[in-house]
Amino acid sequence: MNILETEGLYHDFSGLLVLFDVNLEVKEGERHAIIGPNGAGKTTLFNVITGTYSPSRGRVTFKGKEVTGWKPHNLTRVGMGRSFQITSTFSRLTTFQNIRMGILSKRRIRFNLFRKVDKMQNITEETDDVLKRINLDGERDLPASMLSYGKHRSLEISMALATDPDLVMLDEPTAGMSRDETHHAVELIRRLTEGKTVVIIEHDMDVVFSLADRITVLHLGHILASGPPGEIRESQAVKDAYLGETEV
Amino acid sequence: MRNNLSRWIYWVVGLVILAIYPQVVGIYYTNVFVGFAIFGLYAVTLNLLLGYMGVLSFGHAMFFGAGAYSTALALTHIQGFPLLPALLVGGLAGAMLALILCPLLVRVSGTAFAMLTLAFGQLIFVIALKYREVTGGEDGVGGYPIPSFNIPGVVSIDMTDQINFYYFAVTVIIVCLWLLWFYTKTPFGSLVVGVRDNAMRIDYLGFKLPQTKAVNLIVSGCFAGIAGAIYALFQNLVSTLGVLDIGTSFAPILMAYIGGLGSFFGPIVGSAILHLLEDVTFRITEQIELVNGLVFILVVLFAPMGIVGLLRQAKAKWFHKEKVS
Amino acid sequence: MSPTTAMYVAQAIHGLAYGMLLFLVASGLTMIFGMMGILNLAHASFFMLSGYFCYTVITVTGNFWLALLIAPVAAGICGLLVERFLLRKVHAQGHLAELLLTVGIMLVILEAVKVGWGTESMMIKMPNGLDGLISVANMTYPIYRLFVIGLSLVVLGIMALILYKTRLGMIVRAAVSDADMVSALGINTPLVFMLVFGFGTWLAGVAGVVAAPLLTVFPGMADQIGMDAFVVVVVGGFGSLIGAFFVALFLGELNAYGIQFIPRLAPVLMFAFMAIVLAFKPMGFFGERE
Repeated sequence: MNILETEGLYHDFSGLLVLFDVNLEVKEGERHAIIGPNGAGKTTLFNVITGTYSPSRGRVTFKGKEVTGWKPHNLTRVGMGRSFQITSTFSRLTTFQNIRMGILSKRRIRFNLFRKVDKMQNITEETDDVLKRINLDGERDLPASMLSYGKHRSLEISMALATDPDLVMLDEPTAGMSRDETHHAVELIRRLTEGKTVVIIEHDMDVVFSLADRITVLHLGHILASGPPGEIRESQAVKDAYLGETEV
Repeated sequence: MRNNLSRWIYWVVGLVILAIYPQVVGIYYTNVFVGFAIFGLYAVTLNLLLGYMGVLSFGHAMFFGAGAYSTALALTHIQGFPLLPALLVGGLAGAMLALILCPLLVRVSGTAFAMLTLAFGQLIFVIALKYREVTGGEDGVGGYPIPSFNIPGVVSIDMTDQINFYYFAVTVIIVCLWLLWFYTKTPFGSLVVGVRDNAMRIDYLGFKLPQTKAVNLIVSGCFAGIAGAIYALFQNLVSTLGVLDIGTSFAPILMAYIGGLGSFFGPIVGSAILHLLEDVTFRITEQIELVNGLVFILVVLFAPMGIVGLLRQAKAKWFHKEKVS
Repeated sequence: MSPTTAMYVAQAIHGLAYGMLLFLVASGLTMIFGMMGILNLAHASFFMLSGYFCYTVITVTGNFWLALLIAPVAAGICGLLVERFLLRKVHAQGHLAELLLTVGIMLVILEAVKVGWGTESMMIKMPNGLDGLISVANMTYPIYRLFVIGLSLVVLGIMALILYKTRLGMIVRAAVSDADMVSALGINTPLVFMLVFGFGTWLAGVAGVVAAPLLTVFPGMADQIGMDAFVVVVVGGFGSLIGAFFVALFLGELNAYGIQFIPRLAPVLMFAFMAIVLAFKPMGFFGERE
């Protein structure tokens, strides 16, 4: 069953067509990588699916329900999570407070004005639990802006997962990481997304082929090919458009 | 446990000092204190927007003024209007004004927010100035009866007595400050701080951004209105130039900035410093605004984190030194 | 021309004169904002300061034209100094600090003026030959207001020449639309900032001198035009000179006819207009960025 579908998705920025008849299908439980050269429209596709923009045309369906043009908070509430290519945490809050924000959302604690958040034992425990799982318990009380780049990226990814989404959309989670950090990040993603559906934009082909069950190639705003890794590796069209350049 | 005990001791000592303060310093400084406390509360409500949510309200006087005018008008026109409802009317007026404006205010941030609040602040100031049938224009509304604090059959305290009023005002302000402090500690309070740091992420974590901003605006407006109401009871005179003009909007910004935006109590410290400064200045020269302006410039230049920030820095340095030695 | 038409025309010219003055103040404000990101709340203070300089020059020399030359330059120099020794120091701290600093400067200028010149209103006599009325087609009109329009056009012309024909002007225009690009080109941005700030305050100074005979010189003389200039900048779009020009003229007319027909609501109209525009176009009509 498909957890996410887009049908005939178009998007333009004041006339400049960035997405062009995109029909994406993501099956429940799979790890789906989206690759493509710079400017192919990958992040725009993410933005349209996760509610940053409404598409100019077309439909987005999530869990069998049409969600075209829904706002991010509504999508999060029905189980979609997202991380950003450019790290987007609460920079002046501590690592703990960053993750706690996600936990509060997951527990649907929003307009609670009658208890101190520090006194909510279960929230604190759950947050500390998450911190331990992502190896950030040592940096618990450090402001996010003081974290090392690799740890900051881990926090970014973990915040997308803290709301316990069924589908997580990761926009270049390993962007700017060293080899070593990339390795750790991939392990982290593998561990945290157990049993979830993942859509991931990635440039690092090693990461793509080691992580993905299925790959979609986006080129000039259009889907060039979609299939299992082996098939994509062999596809001539893909080689011409993309893989050839990077010599994989 | 020890921590808890010392906290209790602080509270008790603080309350005792507040209780004997008017007996020690006399009427004049009792009134100075009330003025400081009113503006302390008012500056904290501004900091709820500036320090906590990251938007600058440049027309905050409209909430303060709405509260002050509502209380004054209620007391003028309704005979025998009681004391606590008079306060509530002020708070309600501030909250209502915020509620009316928030559909527009929640859409913007940064400079646009500052300008929009400035525009509304001036709009309300000019309207109040022109509709003198209601507001008395520049002369204002004054001389209304100040009700007694009345619990039927138990007690009736005369509020025109300045010492009595001191106790009443200080009690109300402490309760308000405690409520606001608690508010910043709730899960919702942490959300507001999240809006300051990264509004987009708040949306992506599943929280409704406009509603979150709106609630914080209304809370801020409501308590600014209560501060205005206490002011109306304290002065027994409310005029457009006194409660709605741009100076009344600048004052809490200055206080919050001097005290330090990063802490809840910073604006109160700022209010204390400005009131003390004003008192001292007044003995030397009448140019209080000149001194205020210079303080503004000096603080921005040399203490961008405010006094509380400076103290924290000094403390960190001090303790660091101790550890080393 | 019938008396009614004459009245309408007179109001229109009144509005034009005020609109032009408003543009002189607002153009400096919007340039400073577009380039440096600073919303200079002290901007109108230089308008007032220049009015006082004008008064002093006239008291000493008795010559309005000399005052028109000297006072704005003096105000502009004050602006340069403020930029160099105050604003530049807090630039790294971000816009809030700068905004608050300009509030402080505004208060200091206001109070310094009160200390230096007192709080009385002071009359400035219109120069000979401009103080009369002119009659055209059945209608009389004060010459001085026509002079205001003419002089503003001259200044506008000078400004356009500088902006479009000189290297500095090109840098300024580039910087207003993209400050990063200018530093990328290796141009000494702090110097450009300082010059723009000085030029902007000079413009406000010119307006201050020109307005002085109409408003008289007193500490609150810049209150209305200062507020209106903000409305112009906000509505026209932060950093947009063209936006500022059209909105200034529009507000001038709005003000003139507002006073004619709904005197009580005239001051409210401006802010109501601004609030509505901001609510629906937070960047203003011609603005591209916040």
